[in-house]
Amino acid sequence: MSDPAGGAAAEAPAPVHRTTASDRFLRLLTVVPWIAGQDGPRIAEVCERFGMSRKQLLDDLQVIPLVGLPPYTPDTLIDVTIEGDRVWLRFADVFARPLRLTPEQGLALVAAGAAWRDLPGADAAGPLATALDKVAAVLDVDPDEAVSVALGNTPPGLLDTLRTAVSERRRARIDYYAYGRDQRSLRDVDAYGVFAEEGAWYLRAFCHQAGGERLFRVDRIYGADLLDATFVPPATAGTGTRPHGTEVFTPGPEVPRVTLELAPAARWVVETYPVEQVEEREDGGLRVRLAVSAKPWLERLLVRLGPDARVVDADDEGLRHAGADAARRLLARYREQH
Amino acid sequence: MSAAKLERLLNLTALLLNTPRPLSAQEIRDRIEAYPPDLAAFRRAFERDKDALRAMGFPLEVAEVPGTAHPVDGYRIPKDRYYLRDPGLTPEELAALRLASTVVRLEGVGSSADEGLLKLGGLVGDTAGPDGPDGPAGLGGGPGLAVAALPGAPDLGPLFGAIASQTPVRFAYRGEDRIVDPYRLDYRRGRWYLSGFDHLRAAERLYRLDRFESRIEALAGPRFERPSTSVPGGQLEPWQLGEGDPIEALVLVDAPQAPWVAQHLGREAVVEERPDGAVVVTMTVTNRDNFRSFVLTFLEHAEVLAPPEVRADVVRWLGALAGSGTAA
Repeated sequence: MSDPAGGAAAEAPAPVHRTTASDRFLRLLTVVPWIAGQDGPRIAEVCERFGMSRKQLLDDLQVIPLVGLPPYTPDTLIDVTIEGDRVWLRFADVFARPLRLTPEQGLALVAAGAAWRDLPGADAAGPLATALDKVAAVLDVDPDEAVSVALGNTPPGLLDTLRTAVSERRRARIDYYAYGRDQRSLRDVDAYGVFAEEGAWYLRAFCHQAGGERLFRVDRIYGADLLDATFVPPATAGTGTRPHGTEVFTPGPEVPRVTLELAPAARWVVETYPVEQVEEREDGGLRVRLAVSAKPWLERLLVRLGPDARVVDADDEGLRHAGADAARRLLARYREQH
Repeated sequence: MSAAKLERLLNLTALLLNTPRPLSAQEIRDRIEAYPPDLAAFRRAFERDKDALRAMGFPLEVAEVPGTAHPVDGYRIPKDRYYLRDPGLTPEELAALRLASTVVRLEGVGSSADEGLLKLGGLVGDTAGPDGPDGPAGLGGGPGLAVAALPGAPDLGPLFGAIASQTPVRFAYRGEDRIVDPYRLDYRRGRWYLSGFDHLRAAERLYRLDRFESRIEALAGPRFERPSTSVPGGQLEPWQLGEGDPIEALVLVDAPQAPWVAQHLGREAVVEERPDGAVVVTMTVTNRDNFRSFVLTFLEHAEVLAPPEVRADVVRWLGALAGSGTAA
């Protein structure tokens, strides 16, 4: 996203983004109704609102006095008056309102608004909720029925605590359940950023137990307390968001690998987990190689897949029987209770 | 775009917006001086302008010019299809909407959110910096600013348009040509879903947008009626994605995983809290395979308590797996 705030106070040109031919035309059809509806707004305010430099605005306004309706007499051409730092437009009734929102524009705003409004702890009567209702009304949709966006589960208050840890650079102690290792532990972390992606919230932080920067799933943080200690993020700290595709977990050579044969019904595995090798099999199934950095992760995968997966090779003998071993532990539990 | 072309397009738009009846190309040429006098050159320029307006989403209508001896195409832009109704947003509402669209970005639609905001009254308020206003959820700007990116899909915009206009769409899905009355879009677990009424199946259905096998085709009509009750698009848990009769299952989850499951299923799903911190949750299941898969992700930290046949099903599944391991 660009920075639309530039160009207002400063005289330097600071366009919102690279301006194409139709951008300029569409922007004028948006700016003209707004100026015409005001009583001589300041030029700097127009520039700030519409993300334009002063030069862009003045260039565009030069065209306006030539625009109007037949017979193109002075009272049917748009009248532009610039006095000091203020601008007036008259006889612009034909452009009294901007062009309607495109579906993409409507969706981008409604989806963002709905996502934010549905976060735990959001103010259901606040300005965002009322704005969303008003925008949905002009789009002829019901804001509760047309679009819903679930960014990810978080307990109420936890995001606020984590955000405070980030913005005030306070060390935090989190109660974290490491899913892959199937372990719950307390960790002291320096929180660098919080973001949502692929349906889950993440915390990026330096973990003092692990001695390195880690990503934590916020829905597996059972509690967070702010400590008195503060921290200074290193210049190399991640900026909070995870760029798509550039931060895939890449296990080193010391991590054992397994090779699985998957039935056609288990092809989803390659969509869900990072596989290192994929071969098609004649029966429509796949043969895949996976890195296993924690045994419980492989156990889970194998007990879920059942007959649809078979370990055909493993760097570590313990992994070869991981599915059957886990199944026996589970069976023991089922027998013990009844 | 040159100033001359900009001026010509603005005058063309004004003329077509203001006219009470469709204007022929000849009438447009007579009125707008900026068009070239040569007839062939005018035709080319006018065709380009019409294409440009349509590409920008202008509702350019073509209809016969009334009162002519031979049928002549006429052009106009109906005001009621062009003008954006004023939603009357306050500066606070504009700022809240801007902050929300800055932190929750829909990908693949360019700067649509900003363009939309410009039409609604401009970019108001601050979106960055530690001194920025608090966000709608109390999550203010600043270095802790939470950011979420929603993946785009090629047909999200057109589908949203069809939901708003309540008109059907056609697309290929699972090898079949579907005509669907689109009801709503849901973003769940990183994916977009469409729910709507499937004419082929004569029932409400749920579709994953990343599994569409064609682009959508927006059909002109007829305009459909939405169901008066809420569309059950929000319930998208894997164990509810089945056509079987729903069964109520009880699952015991050990203390370490209890907070997660309570949060994931909602507090109302917890029917018992045991002294050791374990919980018993109830789940409505229509897809038994997905249910088993979910319960097994807890490994030996969870077990199905009821109903007995579902419990027996899990034991059978595990027994087969435990036996197969010895032979490998």
